[in-house]
Amino acid sequence: MARPGSVPLAWRNLVWNKARLLRSAGGIGFAVLLMLMQLGFEQAFFESAFAVIRGLDGDILLQSAHKYQFATRDPFPRADLDKARDVPGVASARALYADWFNFFWKNPIDGKVFLVRAFGFDPDAPVFSFADVNASRDKLKAPNTVLVDRGARRFLGMDSAATEAELNGTKVKIVAGFALGPDFQSDGTVIMSDRTFASLLRAPAGNPAAVDVGVVKVKSDDDPAAVQQSLRKALPDTIAVFTKPQLIEFERKFQADVSSAGPIFAMGTIVGFVVGMLISYQVTYTDLSDQLPQYATLKAMGYRTGYLLRVVFEQAGFNALAGWVPALLLSILLYYLIGRLALLPLHMTAQVILVSLGLTLGMCLISAAIAVRRVITADPAEVF
Amino acid sequence: MKVPLAWRILTYDKRRTGLALIGIFMAILLVFVELGFFYAVPRGGLLLYDNMRFDLLLASNEYEYQAQPGAFPLNQFGPVRSSPDVERATPIYFGFAKWKSGEGGLWPDVFVIGFDPASHIFAPDSINRQTSVLERADTVLVDSTTRPMFGPLDTGRIVEIGDRKVTIGGQYVLGTGFMGLGVVLASDANFARLFPQRGLNIVNLGAIQLKPGVDPDRAADDLRKVVGSGLQIFTHKALEAHETAYWTTRTSVGIIFGSGLLISFVVGIMIVYQIVSTQVGRQLPQFATLKAIGYPDHSLAGTVSTMSVLIVIAGFIPALGAALGLYSVIRQETLLPVMMSEMRLLAVFAAALAMALISALLSVGILRRAAPADVF
Repeated sequence: MARPGSVPLAWRNLVWNKARLLRSAGGIGFAVLLMLMQLGFEQAFFESAFAVIRGLDGDILLQSAHKYQFATRDPFPRADLDKARDVPGVASARALYADWFNFFWKNPIDGKVFLVRAFGFDPDAPVFSFADVNASRDKLKAPNTVLVDRGARRFLGMDSAATEAELNGTKVKIVAGFALGPDFQSDGTVIMSDRTFASLLRAPAGNPAAVDVGVVKVKSDDDPAAVQQSLRKALPDTIAVFTKPQLIEFERKFQADVSSAGPIFAMGTIVGFVVGMLISYQVTYTDLSDQLPQYATLKAMGYRTGYLLRVVFEQAGFNALAGWVPALLLSILLYYLIGRLALLPLHMTAQVILVSLGLTLGMCLISAAIAVRRVITADPAEVF
Repeated sequence: MKVPLAWRILTYDKRRTGLALIGIFMAILLVFVELGFFYAVPRGGLLLYDNMRFDLLLASNEYEYQAQPGAFPLNQFGPVRSSPDVERATPIYFGFAKWKSGEGGLWPDVFVIGFDPASHIFAPDSINRQTSVLERADTVLVDSTTRPMFGPLDTGRIVEIGDRKVTIGGQYVLGTGFMGLGVVLASDANFARLFPQRGLNIVNLGAIQLKPGVDPDRAADDLRKVVGSGLQIFTHKALEAHETAYWTTRTSVGIIFGSGLLISFVVGIMIVYQIVSTQVGRQLPQFATLKAIGYPDHSLAGTVSTMSVLIVIAGFIPALGAALGLYSVIRQETLLPVMMSEMRLLAVFAAALAMALISALLSVGILRRAAPADVF
């Protein structure tokens, strides 16, 4: 007699009825797909909110201590940035001028007007690490010239070949483009020199010479944490001093706190999980019922319950994988299509892969654990 | 004989039927949840308008949504008010300002709505009861769903908005929609104090109330001829269409919940099919026996269809109840106006029945092939 384990019983059970395997993989797979989409959207939501912060070319970022989220103008005096430059260990401290509520872009094709996000910096002191922005920064030295986001929402007309448009009622020349894409707050982005920014900013937004974000680079042989401490000491407490990861964390906390996105996508994921659990319970339960005589026979032959349990759980694991793998492949395709269509940074990441795999295995194993009581109680004498 | 047979099959193995019910319950609940979100977002955009009394809305051609409304000069109200159809036209002012009294020294942006309190343009009782409060100098009413980061919203608290100290005169119940994280209502006079550079000559919206019996569509057509070319006039229906189009096509909201809805439908079909085909598979010997004693295929198909329709109806009712409960939880958690409408209820019911019948038809294929001799 073959020893327990030498026959891949779980595998044979799984592939014994191909039509049933297809059905169960389909059922579990779609529940997994639902979870994958929700997880992907959640991740895209947060990633798009961090895209600009990640693109800032600095180790330490300064902003007003009153600023509650990145995407709001709350500038601080230039003099504070000058003070930061004098702090030992600081290699450079550059100014980013930014606004989210006061720049109105006129679509050069159809003449419609839309609110856009605007950034300004001194072309000789670049603050972004975006290669396409830096490649054309010299062109921004001419007054009223702008770079436009080719990845912006289509209705802004920024992906057109137009060379002129209107920003806050002033004619501007489009000298080049870059690829950033919208987030959940802004539809598109315009980048310009600090001078152009100051001349175009509408009056109620306050002093255009004030800085929205100070982008600080630390000298290569200095410890960023120590420089951060010195900056805190040197600057008034109206200035918040963040490392880049800290600012991203601050933003993550804000978004998680106030936006509905977290609970919405979490709820979608949970529903997918419960649905998947029910489907996989149905699959395991049906399978166990069908195979009950066989299991009872094994028991009668002397196989221990532990072995039978292992077979059931292995099979549940296989079922989970049979649903998860096609769902993962399909979701990569859907991420690409929906990402293109909705201009969202929908990317498959290791985190989404691991979380979805964990959830899928979890739901299949939990439902197997509930269904398996039937095998444990299988009395050989009763079955026949 | 169909109903009793289908019924007996379902009640024969109660445990299994119970399981099937839970599965169908979840599938329908899932569709309701995605559908709720899909419609809630444009409803969030319409929240303010749903709580205002007007027949027509005057807006700039640059109007996108409330937080990006465009503006036009106050003197545009002249020709509107002199129209014989118009009872009253009320200017509405919108502005963003820093709320300098947030938790932890933060200055969140607050959305300020300015209007003439005597106009009673808002429907909520909580606003109309406090008209006299609004008329006090440097006093505002604050939306009760303004986020905790704005600090306590107690009546009498003095806060700094922009460069001005104002008193919270009370709270009102409306919801912040997509206007921002916090919203306050101010009289037009107080609005002008909060935004001194702007004054009252630049208006964001005009709420037009028509004389009784005037047809809004016709009045809108006539008014379009008298207002300047930079303005547009929305009827309620046109406004609803505009907001829905804005939120479902301009933002990524439509595609996010649209795709969720689509997947939830497929998952629903999967569950129902799984359940019905399992039921049929388990009763195969019995069905084969029926066939052997002379019942025709279509009679068995009828039994299977009845069975799946019964089970879907039985799953639908608790799912509807749970969806209503879940909607109220979502309303509290996300502050989105997730609501059930009769249209959607009927649409989901119809879709559920369609799922049941399609699954039944797919499963009948198994039956048709069931040769009595094979089964035993």
